[in-house]
Amino acid sequence: MVSEMTSKERVLAMLNRKPVDRVPVITGSTMVKEYIEKSRSSWPDYHSNAEMMVNTASLMHTDAGLDNIVLPFGMFIESMAIGLEVKMGRIDIQPSVRSFFSKPEEVKYDNFLEDKFVKTTLEAIKLAKAKYPDAAVTAFLVAPITLTGDLMGAENLSMLSIKCLHKEKQMQKMQDWLSIALEINRVYAEACVEAGADIIYYSDASASPNLVMPEFYYQVAVPAEKEIGDFVHHLGCPWELHICGDTVPIIEGMASTGADCLSVEQAVNMKEATKIAEDVPVVGNVTPLLMVEGTEEQIIEETRAGLDSGAKASMLGCGTPPLSTSDRLKTWVKAVADWSADNL
Amino acid sequence: MDELPEKIQELIAEMDKAAEDEDEDAIKELTQKLQDTGADVEAITLKKLSLLVMDGEEEMTQGWTGVAIQIGMDPFKVLIEGLAAGMSLIGKKYEQGEAFVPQLLIASAAMYSGMDLLAPYMKKDESSRSKAVTVVIGTVEGDVHDIGKSLVKTLLSANGFNCVDLGNDVPASRFIEAAKKNQATAISMSTLMTTTMAEMPKVVKMLENEGLRDKLLVMVGGAPITAGYAVQIGADVSPHDAASAANWLKGAIFDFPSESVRWD
Repeated sequence: MVSEMTSKERVLAMLNRKPVDRVPVITGSTMVKEYIEKSRSSWPDYHSNAEMMVNTASLMHTDAGLDNIVLPFGMFIESMAIGLEVKMGRIDIQPSVRSFFSKPEEVKYDNFLEDKFVKTTLEAIKLAKAKYPDAAVTAFLVAPITLTGDLMGAENLSMLSIKCLHKEKQMQKMQDWLSIALEINRVYAEACVEAGADIIYYSDASASPNLVMPEFYYQVAVPAEKEIGDFVHHLGCPWELHICGDTVPIIEGMASTGADCLSVEQAVNMKEATKIAEDVPVVGNVTPLLMVEGTEEQIIEETRAGLDSGAKASMLGCGTPPLSTSDRLKTWVKAVADWSADNL
Repeated sequence: MDELPEKIQELIAEMDKAAEDEDEDAIKELTQKLQDTGADVEAITLKKLSLLVMDGEEEMTQGWTGVAIQIGMDPFKVLIEGLAAGMSLIGKKYEQGEAFVPQLLIASAAMYSGMDLLAPYMKKDESSRSKAVTVVIGTVEGDVHDIGKSLVKTLLSANGFNCVDLGNDVPASRFIEAAKKNQATAISMSTLMTTTMAEMPKVVKMLENEGLRDKLLVMVGGAPITAGYAVQIGADVSPHDAASAANWLKGAIFDFPSESVRWD
């Protein structure tokens, strides 16, 4: 029997493949409309006001009972900081990147850390650490392939991902883009770890078999993810890798990156994924929409099914929908606690 | 192609190279040589085009489309039995889990590159063609992801549908306006994000409020969309992928009243 842990201890134990007092419940994003309103934050200020952001994000921990606090809101900071156009969304829609560069030389990132949204992330990490030392403060960053897709446009990434497998010239082009993404990844990750992030959560949404070839994932994405992952480890910080879609064809590659856990979504057969990943923890894979319109029975059933299939932490497929309700989030957390009481 | 005589196969290989090199003079010369052999150059060209589109070989698709034009083939036949047939081939593979999105995208680029060359010739034939069934297509408001939507559009186009592409981040009212303006048969909406799913029922509600729901088929799709959700919001279907969308619509329009009846 493992004695009671703090949220942070629980998540770190899971990442270190050690016993836990109960299975952790974690998320990859925390922009929830109900919590934004409850914390009296206002759009779009909560994207650039660290205090507002932490006040909202922390409700996922203090009210719903999740074990981590994730910052910032959304996957747009890196793109915004290098001058791409970003539509800021609405209270219930996360910001989205709207433009891309036509060639790598156009990307300028010398003043990356001076950007106000980057600064907000770093301030928010420090603030969350100070206010909630028992929570696992998690920096939500865009991983190399997805950032490369933001730089060149997702459709171009998808097409180049197949062309580069057949032509050396195209592979060079891909590497030119990717090396810039990795450099930006390094600068941002280092600053987040210095600010005190307990964990880096890398979303490599665009490395999905839904968008690029599995062969490309193994040849190009795995070395890139490993490179940034090793860098984060060198800084003394664990990291999680999330990839969208049915990732079963690339789970072996994901496990080989050295990520401390692999986050998968509801399209993935958890039993199969955990078998392939062997000793690397796989986390997931509750359907996010259940937090918006799921019944109590559906939430409990899916949560338990994921854990029965070997998930080492319960997590929503690919982030928490902004229209999630606090009662459903609490039902989910309770379902994990109940399963843990029955099974650990 | 393997069953063709060796001499013809050699000429085809030379043609592939000339097409890849974009050497128009060589393409003309080789086209003549192929014709001189007495081979069925039209059949060869259609077969080549479908295979090249399937493989996403843009330059070679353009080169062989040039051959089709040079020998005076019916451009509509080239489009449907050559270019679009290739798109259908890769679409089927995708449906069966044997191909991935990048392959669809490069095939789509190859098909459109051939269609661009055919376009000036197609216009001449417009009067003799029956009006195509129109589909208004777009990604809903708040979502800028349009790869899935574009693939649906490509496969619908490849199957002869006329697509009015509204792009991404499309407000509900624009779907309605475009459907009315074009007397459309179907509206196809997509989203990649759970955060923007709620825009879909808005469109269906607007159609109901304006008394237009029965005039149109409504397709919804994208990563978070399920068949159950389609039923729940009053859409007609949520096809599994782009190829299924085209197949479903091809079947659905058979039982659907014609546009003149619906929009009268």
